[in-house]
Parts: sequence; structure tokens; C-alpha cells
Amino acid sequence: MIQMKPYEFMVKYTQQKDWIDGRGNFIAFAFFLGGISGGLYMAAAYFDSLLGMFVAWLLSLLMGVSYLAHLSHPFRSWRMFMKPGTSWIARGFIFIMLFIGFTTIQLILSQWVPEATTAITTLKVLAGIFAFAQSIYTGFAVSYVSAIKVWNSAIVPILFVTCGLSGGLAILLAVTMAGDHAQLVALENVTRVVLVALAIIIGVYLWNTTYSSTAAKEAVKRLIGGSLAPLFWVGVFLFGIAIPIIISIITYFVGEASSGLLVTAVVSEIIGGLALRFAILKAGVYTPLLPAE
Amino acid sequence: MRWGMAIELKRCIGCYECVLACKAEHFLPPDIFWNRVLIGESGKYPTVTKLIYNVRCNHCADPPCVKVCPTGATQQREDGIVWVDEDKCVGCRYCMIACPYQMRSMYEDDSKEYFPGQGLTEHEKVGRELYPHKPGVVQKCVFCKERIDSGMAAGLTPGVDREATPACVTSCPTKAIHFGDLDDPNSEINRVIKEKHGHPFHPEFGTDPSIYYID
Repeated sequence: MIQMKPYEFMVKYTQQKDWIDGRGNFIAFAFFLGGISGGLYMAAAYFDSLLGMFVAWLLSLLMGVSYLAHLSHPFRSWRMFMKPGTSWIARGFIFIMLFIGFTTIQLILSQWVPEATTAITTLKVLAGIFAFAQSIYTGFAVSYVSAIKVWNSAIVPILFVTCGLSGGLAILLAVTMAGDHAQLVALENVTRVVLVALAIIIGVYLWNTTYSSTAAKEAVKRLIGGSLAPLFWVGVFLFGIAIPIIISIITYFVGEASSGLLVTAVVSEIIGGLALRFAILKAGVYTPLLPAE
Repeated sequence: MRWGMAIELKRCIGCYECVLACKAEHFLPPDIFWNRVLIGESGKYPTVTKLIYNVRCNHCADPPCVKVCPTGATQQREDGIVWVDEDKCVGCRYCMIACPYQMRSMYEDDSKEYFPGQGLTEHEKVGRELYPHKPGVVQKCVFCKERIDSGMAAGLTPGVDREATPACVTSCPTKAIHFGDLDDPNSEINRVIKEKHGHPFHPEFGTDPSIYYID
């Protein structure tokens, strides 16, 4: 273990470790799972894929488990409903619970009482709202932290939602791969648009953040050319954007893509989404309290 | 009433007595510091300035840690003291992330000893009885609220009477740290801040700290 001497504390850019090291890894997973779960549900509800909605429900449950694993005292987690007025973590916990609740009832009705269309539609709308909330709140939880300048950007929630939607669409693509061809083509078209949007949002976010403060600029430097560059360029750029877009272009011109190519795109997008959460959380640095030199 | 501090940087000699006094007062476990001495340098030869800042939780008037806490474990008293209810903390660390001054610590491992492999010292054993720290929760400076509360109950004045004043303040050999009520315009601390032009540390963080520094 590295012993930090008192005079080394906060005299240089200090990386946040509480939400990335050790138990902190679970919160990065939770944010990732929340994003793709929300994105998948919204996409699955739009394309009316019951299996997709079920997978979204499962992923949301996994998100809850990951959240609990992050806590030092998971048995006190019921207390996390206490402060929705000011805490994004408390709000998020409520969103997750409501999403799981509405989706559970909707899935039961859709499977066993399909004639209850009004109830199913209402529940889909409600679950869809909380799927979106579950997806976007992770971004707000991060962007609310004014102490970490690279996070403190209004673009972060948009980035997290778009990334979640991209991952969700990828999973839906995998789920419907063996199904209706027309639906698959429609899904591929939507995925292309979302991927391009994601690439633009990442670019704008990095560009915009560079000009916000010196700490944010330092963080972006670490992402693009420093210690986090492999994670960013390989994980986020290559897997999250380049490979899926290249495959997307191929499928656009070839017409019908092989299932191997689609699986590669799906896996690649999921890795990219996970890498994005890790990259952004790892990039969080605090402004030094004293100058080091 | 709003408790606050004023620290005269020219008087601070960087002796770490305040850090040790805090450790002893609260029986703080290994690797946990509620206050620290930051040492840095500014300028270039031959006009170099050595910076020594004694830092701790600023008990901000607008504390982000209180806002982000999902359980209400981090609370602010009417006298401005920010503290953590260890029985309510779930250990999500959102408050640690949100504090721009990084003045919070997570106490994770209660098996650590000051002298590894040699068992607990008498001081540690007594500490576990008198001031038990629960593992898995966030810790921070509480402005020695126990001393303030018991002192005030006995009719003493924090900042004036030793028994009612935080340990770091009373232990300072150069009297660099002043403590008192920021809301009282006639208090000694307000006089010092006004006369010597006290300023908060990194006011740009926008949290309205209750600790002032005097250059």
C-alpha cells in the first residue's frame, strides 16, 4: 500500500478513487447497467419486444445488486430513499425501484393477460419514463459534483443517456437477430443515428470540458494522451464507436449482414459503454488546494 | 450562532501538534486524519514562498456533502457544525466525492493497529471504549462538538474557555488558531478576521466555509 505523506495531500491534481477503486468499481458497473437497462427498455417498448423489456428488467435488477455491492452497509440501503429532495443517489434509487416495479407488472400482464391493452400501455409509458430517469440520473449524479470539474458538465447526463441508448439498442439487436427482418433493418437504422450522435456528443463534451477549467483540461489530457489514453482510445473510441460504425456502414451497403458481424458490433458497443463509464469516472481529478511547485 | 475558525498562517510553524491533538482527542484509527497540514511552495527562486496550511472540514454554510448524502447521515446542526451520524451512513462515498476540499475519510478496516502485529496499545484499547469508530462509514472533523456541547452545558464559552474549545485550537503552541461565533459581531474571531483581513480557503468553490485564513 502506498503511504501518502501529509504534505503530498492535495498539492497536485488528485484523482478521485472513491468511485473507481476497490468497491468503487461496482458503482461504475451500476451506472453502466442503469444506462443500458434504461436504453434497452425504451428501445424494446418502441419496437414492442417483450424479450427486450424482460432483459432490461433483469439488467435493472443487476444494477441494484451492483449498487448494494458498492455500499459498505447494504442492509441500511432502505435509508437511501430518505433524501430525494437534494441527493441524486436517493432520487436514482427511487427511479430504479419504480422502474422495476412498473416493469414487473407490465411484463406479467403482457405475458399472461395480453388482452389488458390499456393497462399494459399505461404501464409501458410509466416504465418508459422511469427507464429514462434511471438512465439519465447517473449522469446527473456525476455532473452535480462541482468539485470535479471534468464531471461538472451539463453534457454528461446527455452523454450517459445516449451511451445507454446505444448499448440498449445493441442488446435489442442481439435479442431480435433471429426475428423479423424488417424490424432488424429498422433497428439498425436507429442504431446508426445513435452511434453518430454518441460520437458527436463525446467530441463536444471533451472539447467543451477542455475550456471549462485547468483541472478539467488536465483530466481531458489524461484521457486523450495520458494514463487513461489506452482505456479511452481502445475502449471508448475503438470498441464503442469505430467498430460499431464500421460494421454499421458495411451492413448499410451490403444489405444483410452476417450474424457474426452483428454479434461483433453488439459486443463491441457493450464494451464501449462500459469503458466510457470507467474512463469518465477515472478521469475525475480534484483541483489542488496548494500549488506543488 | 455559527462556529468558525480563523487561522493565522504567519504564526503556523507546521509542527503538526493540531493533527496529533485531534488524533488523541478522538482516538482516530491509523490512516485517518480529521485535520492535516498541507505544505507547498509558490513562486520561483529567489522569490519562493513556503505555504503551510492547516486544513480540516470547513463546516461550510452551503455544504455539498449534506446535499448529496442520500440517507441524511451527514447533517448540519443549527450552529453550523457538519457531522456524520455513523448509524445512518451506508458508505456510498458520495459525500467524499462531493467535498472539494477532500476533507472526508472512509474508515474501512477496524483491524488495523498503530503497530502492526504487536496488538492494540493501551491508548487504542481505551479509545475503542470511549470513542468507538464504526467501520464502513465516512469520518470527518466535527469541530470537537462534544467539547463544545459539554462546555456550554457547564456555562463555558467555546473559543474562550479551554475545556469548551476544539482540541486543535487549544493545543496550538503559537496560538495560530482562533475559534468562536461568526454570527456574533463582537466575538474575538470576528475582530481577528476583520482586522487582519481573513479570507476563506478557495472561495471559488462556492461553499461558504466557516474557516478563515489570515495571510
